[in-house]
Parts: sequence; structure tokens; C-alpha cells
Amino acid sequence: MTAIAPLFLDPYRLAFATFMAERREPEAISRLRHAAFARFETLGWPTRRQDAWRFTDLAALQALNLQQPSDARIDAAALPTLETLTHRLVFVNGRLALALSQVRALPEQTTIAGLAQSLSTHSPRIESVLDSLPGLQSHPFSALNTAFWEDGAFIYIPRGTVIEEPIHLLFYATGGDMAVYPRLLLALADGAQATVVVEYRGQGRSLNAPLAELHLGDNATLHYHQVQEESPQAFHLGGIRVRQSRASQAQLHLFSSGGQLARTDLEVLLDGEQAGCLINGLTLGQENQTGDYHLRIEHAQPHGTSEQVFKSVLDGQARAVFDGLIHVRQYARKTDARQTNRNLLLSRQAQVHANPRLEILADDVKCGHGSSTGFLDPDAEFYLRTRGIPWSQARALLVHAFANDSLSRIALTPLRERLGRVLATRLALDSIEGN
Amino acid sequence: MLEIRNLYATVEGREILNGIDLIIRPGETHAIMGPNGSGKSTLANVIAGREGYVVTGGEIRFDGKNLLEMDPETRACEGVFLAFQYPVEIPGVANLYFLKAAVNAVRKYRGESPVDAMDFWDLVHERMELVKMDESMLKRSVNEGFSGGEKKRNEVFQMAVLQPRFAVMDETDSGLDIDALKVVADGVNALRNPERGFLVITHYQRLLDYIVPDYVHVLVNGRIARSGGKELALELEQQGYALYNEEPGRARRAA
Ligand SMILES: Nc1ncnc2c1ncn2[C@@H]1O[C@H](COP(=O)(O)OP(=O)(O)O)[C@@H](O)[C@H]1O
Ligand SMILES: [Mg+2]
Repeated sequence: MTAIAPLFLDPYRLAFATFMAERREPEAISRLRHAAFARFETLGWPTRRQDAWRFTDLAALQALNLQQPSDARIDAAALPTLETLTHRLVFVNGRLALALSQVRALPEQTTIAGLAQSLSTHSPRIESVLDSLPGLQSHPFSALNTAFWEDGAFIYIPRGTVIEEPIHLLFYATGGDMAVYPRLLLALADGAQATVVVEYRGQGRSLNAPLAELHLGDNATLHYHQVQEESPQAFHLGGIRVRQSRASQAQLHLFSSGGQLARTDLEVLLDGEQAGCLINGLTLGQENQTGDYHLRIEHAQPHGTSEQVFKSVLDGQARAVFDGLIHVRQYARKTDARQTNRNLLLSRQAQVHANPRLEILADDVKCGHGSSTGFLDPDAEFYLRTRGIPWSQARALLVHAFANDSLSRIALTPLRERLGRVLATRLALDSIEGN
Repeated sequence: MLEIRNLYATVEGREILNGIDLIIRPGETHAIMGPNGSGKSTLANVIAGREGYVVTGGEIRFDGKNLLEMDPETRACEGVFLAFQYPVEIPGVANLYFLKAAVNAVRKYRGESPVDAMDFWDLVHERMELVKMDESMLKRSVNEGFSGGEKKRNEVFQMAVLQPRFAVMDETDSGLDIDALKVVADGVNALRNPERGFLVITHYQRLLDYIVPDYVHVLVNGRIARSGGKELALELEQQGYALYNEEPGRARRAA
């Protein structure tokens, strides 16, 4: 390992030097990049000897000769919409495509814009929050993102402001072995509310290593949705960091059906009393796909609540990894934290690695976790078949029922319905509306 | 319509059915009674085609066709229905959606187009009244959280919607109070007609006061120990199964 790591880093050093030579940006931002790159050098490329990377096979990614992103034209008609009024930013290979984007009229002081472009207009605010969250300190791809991000989204919602229309951020990759590092910076001031849909899509093979930083002020409410439907060749190694202040409420809905390897590392810091978060994950895997989640919920203050519900449906040789830690600090009494992980295997070759963990240092807390992995219930299958429903349809109905439980938690109707259609198509079911 | 000849079946390597002969003609209702563990549900499951129930001898013909060669859904589409002794809970699949999928599967098998939404709704409502089922049950997941009585009622309701030509009712009466029992019996009686056959499995004579059978068979140790008319049920009620249950030899003599 010691012999290989420095060799491997060399192309990154070269790439970083080239990248920095072309940058024109505030000094504070460059300093962050240098610090992050130094962190990446210290961390090195992950190996399977590290606990956090034991089940994540990066060999295929490591073999690629990754390129810098380049511009590409894409047809607006090829992009999904939410079929409702939205504020919409489209990024092609990590760069804002203005022609495909539209931000509607906004309340005063509110910003929904490209991050690169905002550096010239909102530099002090960005400098004060960018990379300021704890968490993911040992995640090399987050360090790479901070070193290499070119663009992304900057969203600032001022105190008490409610943005009704969903904010739709669509990241489209065109393949060609590019490495793309989109950055999302979102800050909700006290009492602000927003609904965000971050969608990852694309064609061909590429590395997408986004990093999202979500700041919730006191009493803020965020409904955040990550929809990962990248191509079956894509690598996705993303990070999400969240900090929640007093009595803020976050819902994070994580849906994943694309990519050959799709991993998200997530850290939520509940840093104010009565802060609460719901994390609802659904992974659909088939063939050789791997869907991989690493979560840390940090309860730092009393009366916090957290609920994680992670499900996966795996066919073929697909794998799911669920590594979830609830950490309750000594001061965080009256914490209520729950974690459920349920995996449905549709084939004998599919695999799950589940590692639910609790670390509780406080007294007087309610914590619970459970993990289960199993096949479809043969009694239910038989019951449906005795009513004339063919075997394949019976199975599809049961899988749909299992997965739809996750979708039904999504309050954003157009997205819920669209993902319902994705699910039905994947299961070759006719419209399942009314179910 | 249903001919069972010299049927032998094993479950997990154990011989449960030991040579059953039974012929049910259109319009007839047969009752099978017998002690617990005598093989009643095994017979029902073999007729429906459940995995793990291995037929080791004999045959079952339905309208002359070899039933044992068909998978469970084909049997259902041919018109065979099983009301389960223990209906299965299916969280996340709404009753109404499930029923519609079933009706359309049968229609597809017959080469018919999917059911018209309005016609389906009318049929469902009419049949719901038959078993005095509350409309709220349509939206609920199949059998999930249903009481014992609601589950049994739901079985009869499904039968009423699917209108099979032959139905096996496996202890549809067990766990029901007398009012629920009457509702279930009324539902079944309303479906009786000269084309439809029933095989009613019960542990108690009580049900047969309401669903009056044409024939009663006593199943003991996987064999029909005795057959007779509806009076046989009353006799069993008085004497119990002890006569048959002590040892297979006596049961055969009694037959
Ligand atoms: N799925 C099964 N697995 C194991 N044993 C079974 C199974 N089904 C039935 N049996 C056994 O077969 C015998 C007959 O059972 P069953 O047909 O359920 O009887 P009945 O319905 O008359 O009470 C019993 O001894 C029971 O234990
Ligand atoms: Mg039984």
C-alpha cells in the first residue's frame, strides 16, 4: 500500500496544479482547496482494509484514466422535469447550463443560483459557510470535491422565508470517463423553508463525486430529495453534510437506481435542541450494481429525534451496503433515534452487507434499530397466484408493495408519482395508481 | 367436474393423504369433516397447487383436464378457488387493486379485455353487500390487521367477485361468532347454482346447519373413512371423531 499510494496520487497532483493555475477566485476559496487537497493526500485513495471501505470495490474506478470535465450540448427534451412549477438549475458535466435553467421570481435577499457565478456576487456569504461543516473529514472524495469543484448550486433562503416551488437541481453527465465534482451549498436561515430535488442523471461512464452542505437555522424546514438515476456504467461517490439548529426539521429522501457503484456518505449533526430528521432511503439494484450508504447521525443536543428507514430491492448479482451509526453524545438526553434497514432479495446471488450501529453515551434516551434481509414471502406469492395472478406479476406486486412504502413517505407529489412510475416500469407492472 | 382418484400426497416426506377418492358434480356441495391433522387442509392445498405438497400417486381431473399439471394461477383461471384456512396478510397491496388484478388475470386467460372500471365498481359493490363488508376494507391492504372474522369474510367476498366454478372452503367457519357465520353462509348459499361445485371443509357440524351439503365425508388419517348424506354430520356431532380416530383399522371397519 505504501508503495502504491504515492504513485497513484501523482496524476492527482498534476491535475490539481493544472486546475489551480487556471483559477481566478477569492483567496479564501483557494486556501480551502489547498487544504482539502492536502487532506486528500493524507487520506489517500481508500482501500478495502479500511472499515468504511471494506465493501466498496473501487478497482474498476481506479483503473480509469479520468478526464477533466468538458462542455457538451444536450437536448432540453431529454431532461426530466417535475411536471410542476419549479426553480430549475441544470448542470452539464458539473457546469451550470444557463439556457436550460430557469429561476422564477424570488423573495428579497433569496438566492438560487450557480455557485461559480455567485462567487462574484455573494463571495462573503459563501466564504463564511463553504466547507464549514464538520463531518466527512475522512472521506477522500469529499476532500477531492472541495479541491476540484468548478460549479454547483448556491441556495440561500433568508429568515422566515418560505419557498413554495420545489428547487430542482439536475446534474447531467455525458460520460467519456470524466470526473465531475459538483458542489451544493444550501443555507436556510432561521424559520426558512424549502423543498429541494437533486437529480443525478446521465449517459456513459464517469465519476460523479458531489458534495452537498446543508445548513438549517433554528426552526428551519428542509425537504431534500436525492434521485440518483445515472447510467449503469457510472460511478457515484457522493457526500452530504447536514447541520441542524434548534427545532429545525429535515427530511432527506434518497432514491437510487442507477450507477454501477453508487455510494453516498451522509453525516447529520443535530446541533440544537428538538432538532429532528427523517432519512428515507430506497435502493433498487440489478445485475452488478452496488448501492452503498454510510450514515452517521450525531445527536449533540437534548430532545432530538432521528428516524432512518433504509430499504433495498436487489436482483441479479446486485449488492447493497448499509452502514449506519447513531451516535448520541452524553449531553443529548431525551434523544429519540430509530433506524430500520430492510432488504429484499430477488435472487440467490444478490447480497447485503448491513452494519447498523448505536453508540449511546447519554442516559434517558429511546433508541432502536433493526435490520432484516429476506426473500419474498412464499405464502403471499401463493395466495396471489390462487386468485389467478401470474407468478411474475405476483412477485412484482409484492416488490412494489415493499418499495412503495418508502415512496409513500415523500410528500412532494409529482416526484413521488414519477418515482412510482420508475418503480412500476422496473417491475414491468401496469399502472398501479390507486394502490 | 372434480374427480379425485386414489390420491396420495406427502408433505416434507411424510405421507399425509393415503388414497382419496372423491367425485364432485356440478351443482353439488360436499362437506369434509375430520379431526385436526387428518389432512383436510393438505387436500385443499393439493387441489390449489401449493408448493411442497407432493402428489405421490393418483390424479385430480377438473372438467376432464389434469389439474395436477397446472400451476396455481392456471387452476384459478380455469375456475378453481381456495378460501384459505389462514388467509395471508399482504401489506402494501390494497384489496381493491388486488381484486382488479385477479379479475383481469382471469379475463386475460379467457381472451377477454380488461374489465371496464364502472362495471368492476358495480360488481364489487354488489358483492360487498352480499357479505356485509365495509367499503373501507377495499382501501386497506389485503388482510392486514383484519380480525379473524374480517379475513374469512374477505375470502368469501373474493370468491363472490371472482365467481369460480368450483370452490374449496377450508374452515371458513372457524373463529366466527354466530352472526358472522350466518353472513359467510349466506354469501356461499347465494353463489350456489346448478353449475357450481363446493367442497366445504369444517371441523364442526355447526356450519352445515347453514350451508346444507349434499354429501358429507369423514377424513381420517388421510383417507375418507366414511361418506353419507347430511345426517352424517349430526351423527358426528353427537359421537365425535373418537370412533374413527383411535386407530386406522377401526375407522375402516366403521366405514
Ligand atoms: N406445510 C406443512 N409442513 C409440515 N407439515 C405439514 C404441513 N401441512 C400439513 N402438515 C402436516 O400434515 C398433517 C395434516 O395437516 P392438515 O392437512 O393441515 O390437517 P387438517 O387441516 O385436517 O387439520 C399434520 O400432521 C400436519 O402437521
Ligand atoms: Mg386445516
